[in-house]
Amino acid sequence: MHSNQSNPALAVTGLHKKYGDIPVLSNLELSISRGAIHGLVGLNGSGKTTTIECILGLQRFQSGTVSVMGHAPADLHRAKGKVVAIFDTPSLHPNLTVRQNLQLARSLCPTPVRTAQDVEKMLGVSRYSNYKVRQLSLGNKRRTSIAQALLGNPELIVLDEPFNGLDAEGVDDVLRLIQQFNQDHNTSFFLCSHQLPYLEQICSHIAILHKGTIAVSGTIADLLGASRNVALLSTAQLQQAEDLLRTMPDVQVAGVDPDGFLRIQLGNMTSAALNQALVSRQIGVTELHLQRASLAGLFRQISNEVRT
Amino acid sequence: MNGLYTAIRAELFVALRSFSSKLVVIAPATITLLQYLLTKLAETGQAARDNLLGNSSFDAALADSAYGYFVDGVKTGLTILGLLLVAQAAYSFSYERDLGTLRHLFIRRASRPSVVLAKLVNLHVQALLSICLLLSLCWFVAGMLWEYGPVVEDGFELISAAEIRTEIGAGLTLALLPLPAAIAFGLLVSVSAQSATQAVTTALGLTLAMDILKAMLGDFSSYLYASFQPSLLDQSYLQDVSRLVRGYSDVLIDERVQTLNLWVPIPTMLLLLAMTLIIVRWKKV
Repeated sequence: MHSNQSNPALAVTGLHKKYGDIPVLSNLELSISRGAIHGLVGLNGSGKTTTIECILGLQRFQSGTVSVMGHAPADLHRAKGKVVAIFDTPSLHPNLTVRQNLQLARSLCPTPVRTAQDVEKMLGVSRYSNYKVRQLSLGNKRRTSIAQALLGNPELIVLDEPFNGLDAEGVDDVLRLIQQFNQDHNTSFFLCSHQLPYLEQICSHIAILHKGTIAVSGTIADLLGASRNVALLSTAQLQQAEDLLRTMPDVQVAGVDPDGFLRIQLGNMTSAALNQALVSRQIGVTELHLQRASLAGLFRQISNEVRT
Repeated sequence: MNGLYTAIRAELFVALRSFSSKLVVIAPATITLLQYLLTKLAETGQAARDNLLGNSSFDAALADSAYGYFVDGVKTGLTILGLLLVAQAAYSFSYERDLGTLRHLFIRRASRPSVVLAKLVNLHVQALLSICLLLSLCWFVAGMLWEYGPVVEDGFELISAAEIRTEIGAGLTLALLPLPAAIAFGLLVSVSAQSATQAVTTALGLTLAMDILKAMLGDFSSYLYASFQPSLLDQSYLQDVSRLVRGYSDVLIDERVQTLNLWVPIPTMLLLLAMTLIIVRWKKV
């Protein structure tokens, strides 16, 4: 994977967006290196789709600067097909067939490198090519919508909830295509999704959007590395346990979960050593388990931290 | 320019395959054909009854010229076309915004003004095709069912065929001039509305409201493009032409109104288009 920090595929600085008097995005900062697969996650209503719409020039924002492949959002049409987007709704003409929709998309592509038939095969919709889009299932509409983006070799593909409505095979196809385009053509991706395991599987970078600002951003390895070795402890003597843990140099108390578990950052200490330390101070351990570091866990943790 | 060309091609690609575009082209001619057949049927029945009763009327003698029926048919067709074009224009932008297909166009190839202009071109192409079909059908069917000729009374030629054709030409020109303004009005509503349903109902509602209000505006109605458009409450010059070509000599032609008919619609269209181009720049898509 290549990256080019000096000339990013997407750079957002100080983005502010309000709907009326309600702030949706506040001082949003985001940078996507060329060749990166960058995921954006956030709770419902956190501003993900608004971020994408502002980046693509589909709605105006109050202040800030956005550069997409060196173009301002309002001038994105001047990028001449270097940027394409796939939206959370399929965005197809319902009364045209799959083939006609793809032909239309091809006519919008300045340098098409694949035919409609090629991309139909890639996304597994060849047998529906003469079906009108309104006759298709949501999954096949989604596949057709993704196929539209692959007629050329765009340099940045923005995807909003690309896995919605797809079956397991469809998800695998999309994940494979994202990786293939990224490796073969150095295509940058900006994905916005609630499907955290899929993002964890393919993204090189992740940003977590919370209440209109980027709460955390970085490579997957860095972000998950920080949340590794987290132990969850359940005990009847919660306060005593917490007091004890705060005196220990190699552990850090990260807080109490909504369901009563004490969240402990272990550092180099093992869970067995922790258990022994607690028991030796007469603190009964009801439950103690290590939490596997995952994007979903990190997301929940950050959402809770920001809430509290 | 390249973006505009791409947008026009995309518009025509979809229009060629959409039912609503075909409806705009075919419906006015089809309904006019139906009107001709029903008129002929009613006339034949009336003539048979008059023959049986031994009656004949002055109106019946004058009404025999096919030119009068030609103008009536064109008036009906243009009335329908005017409404269809407003609805189609109102639908065009807002529907594609609802679908999300406009976003692809904006991101990949065409600026927002280019897309609006492409829609304007597409709607004019549809209007042109519809008018050509309507005029050809009216000319052919009216000639087939009735006979083209001068207005003759007691063996004396009141109006020659050449004069009638000149009058019809003038009437048509004046009746067609407001159509671009009607299209631009529909597009303005389309760009401003929140949804396709809202756009179509608003555009048709306002068009019908203009139709009703123009009678109450007095002299001011001459500054409204819709006053010159054949409509359900028709005040267009074509209404007068229909009587002129039948030999009615009591038609009063207001020169000032005719001048305004020439000069109001196109500037109105440009004004509406300018407003549309301004709104589309900041509207959320």
